[in-house]
Amino acid sequence: MAIETHRSPRRRISPARHAPLIAAVVIGLLFTLPLLWVLAGSLRPGDQVLAGLETLSWRSVVPTDATLDNYLTLFQGDFGRAVLNSVVVAAVTVCVGLLLSATAAFGLAVFDFRGRGAVFAVILLSFMIPFDAIAIPLASTFRAWDLQNTYAGLILPGIGNGLAIFLLRQFFLAVPRELVEAARLDGLGWWGIFRRIYLPLSRPALIAAGLTLFTFQWQSYMWPLLIGTEPAKQLGPIALGTLQGQMVVDYGQVFAAAVVLTVIPLVVLLRLQRYFTQSIAGSGLK
Amino acid sequence: MKTEPPTRRRPVGPSQGRLALYFLAPALLALVLLRLLPALMALISSLRHHSLTDGVTRFVGLANYADLWADPQFWQSTRVTLLFSLVINPLQVLLALGLAVLFNRRFAGARFWRSLVFAPIAVPPAVSAVIWGILYRPEGPLNAFLGALGIPAQPFLTSPEQALYALIVLMSWVGVGYWMTFLIAGLQDIPQEVYDAAGMDGANAWQRFVHITLPLLRRPLSFVLVAATVSNFLVFAPVQLLTGGGPDGSTNLMMHDVFRRAYSVGDIHYAQAEVVVLVAVTLAVVAVQYRLMQGKGEE
Repeated sequence: MAIETHRSPRRRISPARHAPLIAAVVIGLLFTLPLLWVLAGSLRPGDQVLAGLETLSWRSVVPTDATLDNYLTLFQGDFGRAVLNSVVVAAVTVCVGLLLSATAAFGLAVFDFRGRGAVFAVILLSFMIPFDAIAIPLASTFRAWDLQNTYAGLILPGIGNGLAIFLLRQFFLAVPRELVEAARLDGLGWWGIFRRIYLPLSRPALIAAGLTLFTFQWQSYMWPLLIGTEPAKQLGPIALGTLQGQMVVDYGQVFAAAVVLTVIPLVVLLRLQRYFTQSIAGSGLK
Repeated sequence: MKTEPPTRRRPVGPSQGRLALYFLAPALLALVLLRLLPALMALISSLRHHSLTDGVTRFVGLANYADLWADPQFWQSTRVTLLFSLVINPLQVLLALGLAVLFNRRFAGARFWRSLVFAPIAVPPAVSAVIWGILYRPEGPLNAFLGALGIPAQPFLTSPEQALYALIVLMSWVGVGYWMTFLIAGLQDIPQEVYDAAGMDGANAWQRFVHITLPLLRRPLSFVLVAATVSNFLVFAPVQLLTGGGPDGSTNLMMHDVFRRAYSVGDIHYAQAEVVVLVAVTLAVVAVQYRLMQGKGEE
């Protein structure tokens, strides 16, 4: 784990020293400008979102007549339910997916058995096959099983996540064998070892794996487009697509919807950024 | 049936294989049913054809693939996807590398400014597509900005020449920050001592970058390049939401082409053949990645 290094406090001060800072500020602002503009637009009365652009000024990103009307109208329509659906689907996916991934990772990391290599290969292969590519064949199967427009249909593809299993397995392998053997001598069963030793020790890996599961669901677009089209079962992104595809687009509402769908994962990601970085450092490079 | 583990000794208990199965079964079932089986189904389905004349679905061997091979639209889509890949992947990796080097330095508020670049990662693909769709509108803010600089309004998504590049910018807005985090993690693994030693030998910043940073970043860089290639290969939401593959097929990326074949054209077996091609190409790219990684030894 990279720990902040505190060295060379006596750097030579040169005019070039501030160049990185200036570049960082400019680039950081460029990347956030679209988001700020959307946030500002969402607070404007709907008909004024695209108005007044011929005079670009600081007012373009700072609304002077802020109002929450767009959000209120938005949540009175179908969108509120769609966001709720997204939250439910993501939450169930994280809980069930973590349980499935953690038990599987435990099975792989702790036991010696014939065919472990084959099982591991299945897991690797399953996360190398890109989900969007197989979404169309899977959707045909789900329709045959009558799972279209059901929560189960929306949730199921998210719970089997090879990457989450892989992340947790890497972490579980580092748990000292002595702990397990001591616990066995004390008469603790395997389920107890899993719940009382491995899970509590693996908080960072569990958060990272949970983040993987959450992101998969929150970002998915093709799957809910294929399987959840009925208004009562639409997820946020699909409802947003409907909003922006209407004959007369209410941009204020579109912006408010974009803000809602972004703020939820943004808060999660920024709070857990540390684990996110660890997870990708662990998954990609090791 | 019991095999003795050759190296490590373990406490004796109920068969390890049976125990492992209890723990592994639910996840394995999910992975097989939801990942591997659909891939297999696509493969089987791609070998069949549903005849509209007599309503019978029958085995046709590789006929769908032969049709695909002879289909100018498939090749048009392949060309678009290839051009898209050849531009977007080097662009994203180079920008991500530059930003990783920049944000890995220590200066006032480095973490804060970095999180601003990181922020678009949170934006779901459908949302980023909608946001940029509005930014690109003829009367939208980008043209207003260009107008303020005295540059004539651009057609962006409505022009066959510009639409693909407009999508590249849109996708990179999210992608660059994402790939940057991998490279920053890689940079932080390089010990400061290496740089200190090189500094004492009189290496300048550029020499340090070329002779230390780049070689030691080889693994994260190759990983990012492959992961970016795979993920950009599957771009779908912005095409479906903004351009529908147009204008003039200029943004008809392969994932959208598959979708169009399956649902607009309605020939599912033909579309499955394209799914198989898509998965095969992706797996080939990942296999290359795996080889690259193994070259440097595991664990």
